[in-house]
Amino acid sequence: MAEKRVILLIEDERTISNFICRALNANDYKAIAAGTGKEGVSLFFSHQPDLVLLDLGLPDMDGLEVLEQLSGLPRETPVLIISARDRETEKVKALDMGAEDYIVKPFGVSELLARIRGTLRRADRVRLNQGSAKSRYQVKDLTVDAARHQVFVGEEEVHFTQNEFKILELLCAHSGKVLTYDFILEHVWGPYGGSSNQILRVNMANIRRKLKENPSEPRYILTELGIGYRMLEDS
Amino acid sequence: MDWYRRCVRLWERLPPVPRDLCAAALLLWAAYCISGSLLEHTGAENNSALVFVLAVMVISIITTGYAYGVVASLVGGFCINYFFMYPYAAFSLSHAGYPVAMFSMVAISIIVCALTSRVKLMAVEAVTREQNAKALYQMNQRLYEEKAAIQLKAAQENIRSNILRAVSHDLRTPLTAISGAATVLLESEEMRSEKSASLLTDIKEDADSLITMVENILSVTRIQDGQTPLKKREEMLEEVAGAAVVAIRRRFPGVPVATELSEDILYLPMDPILIKQVIVNLLENSIRHSGDFEHICLRLFRQENWAVVEVRDQGCGLSADLRQAIQNGEQLPQNLSGDSSRGMGIGLSVCQSIIKAHSGFFAAGNAPEGGAVFRFGLPMEEETAHG
Repeated sequence: MAEKRVILLIEDERTISNFICRALNANDYKAIAAGTGKEGVSLFFSHQPDLVLLDLGLPDMDGLEVLEQLSGLPRETPVLIISARDRETEKVKALDMGAEDYIVKPFGVSELLARIRGTLRRADRVRLNQGSAKSRYQVKDLTVDAARHQVFVGEEEVHFTQNEFKILELLCAHSGKVLTYDFILEHVWGPYGGSSNQILRVNMANIRRKLKENPSEPRYILTELGIGYRMLEDS
Repeated sequence: MDWYRRCVRLWERLPPVPRDLCAAALLLWAAYCISGSLLEHTGAENNSALVFVLAVMVISIITTGYAYGVVASLVGGFCINYFFMYPYAAFSLSHAGYPVAMFSMVAISIIVCALTSRVKLMAVEAVTREQNAKALYQMNQRLYEEKAAIQLKAAQENIRSNILRAVSHDLRTPLTAISGAATVLLESEEMRSEKSASLLTDIKEDADSLITMVENILSVTRIQDGQTPLKKREEMLEEVAGAAVVAIRRRFPGVPVATELSEDILYLPMDPILIKQVIVNLLENSIRHSGDFEHICLRLFRQENWAVVEVRDQGCGLSADLRQAIQNGEQLPQNLSGDSSRGMGIGLSVCQSIIKAHSGFFAAGNAPEGGAVFRFGLPMEEETAHG
């Protein structure tokens, strides 16, 4: 049997921390709980977890500060942010600082476990084929061929403009991960593109219309309201 | 003093023209009598002039305006000359010094008359000024009291919404823990008995519905405290609606929600989290209260300068009371028809307040083919502030 994955939970609310630990242990993870940011940082170094669950609202230090202390290490550990619904800027900041994903409080157990599974899977994938950019992406029946600049839905080819294609390719390359608006803007239009959010949104609306994708029944692209977009993964 | 005041009041109540005429005539008559008896008993002519000046003075004090005093002084001058100066019972200006005496007498009378009327005018002015000042003071006082009352009310309102927010905020965490713990228990091996499973499901469902309510309350207090403006930014309406439908699907997996999107690109300023909540509330409302699980439909379209969202079902429709209340923008009853509608009032109230804060419109009605239709519109462009 494979070794259990270790998950470090940094959360000050004891009751929440309790049920998360129970749920993690019941699902074959090894959970370690820290009640403060300081304790979290020290447990992180002593246990070297596979994943960190970090609540941004900690009593002793700013969650973003904790994130800063955890990132920038040789071995990159994915961090999953736990945050309140109405703190979008905080979430966006955490994502731009390198957090892997986020989950909104109040959340359900199944939702949390799904996020953890996805995050761990992506981390493994990155570790296995580091640095090798793929030329062909497959998400469900959507095929994005970066080398030939072609997109297929099933057998049928769909035509996209240059920027629409770049957005699709970027989302596919990071499929499963939420990409913030700023991240996409910077990678598609360049750091000095000076592009506004509106261009991205309109491009996305056009991509959806071409893929015949209804945002209320997402097959490929999930909207993360106020934060960005996420390409769905095969699960 | 009392007697005097009563006389003055009685005097003022009489009709002015006959009253003043009678008074002038009476006083002149009295002066004439007194002068006559003085002349008879002392033989001195110089007294009569003083008596008439006195009479003219009294006349000008008690009558209104100059006219009576001036006329009385002329009449008095004539009387003195005619009755009380040699030659008696004849008008003569031929005697040495008579014209001077006549002229000064009339002049004195007129000046006295003018002075007294001016004094009277000033008295009247003083009285009105005092009344004005008093009224002003009272108005000031009232305004001040009203202002204090409004401030107190605002402060109380503020305290109340702060408490409400703090309580809701603090409820969120334990409720999440309760719901989470119930889920963990539901999924664990040792709780597989049917009885405990159903109780745990109840706990989880109630905790979840309380979480929804707390989220609603937090949204409303966020708008109503007025200090934090809406976090508006340009947003694609179809994405917001899509996120709402995804959230509803997750909570009610068995209920199909049909969506019909606009071909137009509806990109407009809004607080996306709050608008998403409005759509979630409307869909949840239809799912919970219409009795129709099959034909719930969400439609987005553009109508002139409005981006419109419509939620319709083919259920039991809305009662007349509820329609009325929504139309008038009244506070909705919190408990509409017993337990089954728990939370409906607050959900719709939240929708109303959020839409109002966006300067949009909110309407509800029944479709002719049956079922309820909720519709709200948001202005496509940011309103430019007037003035």
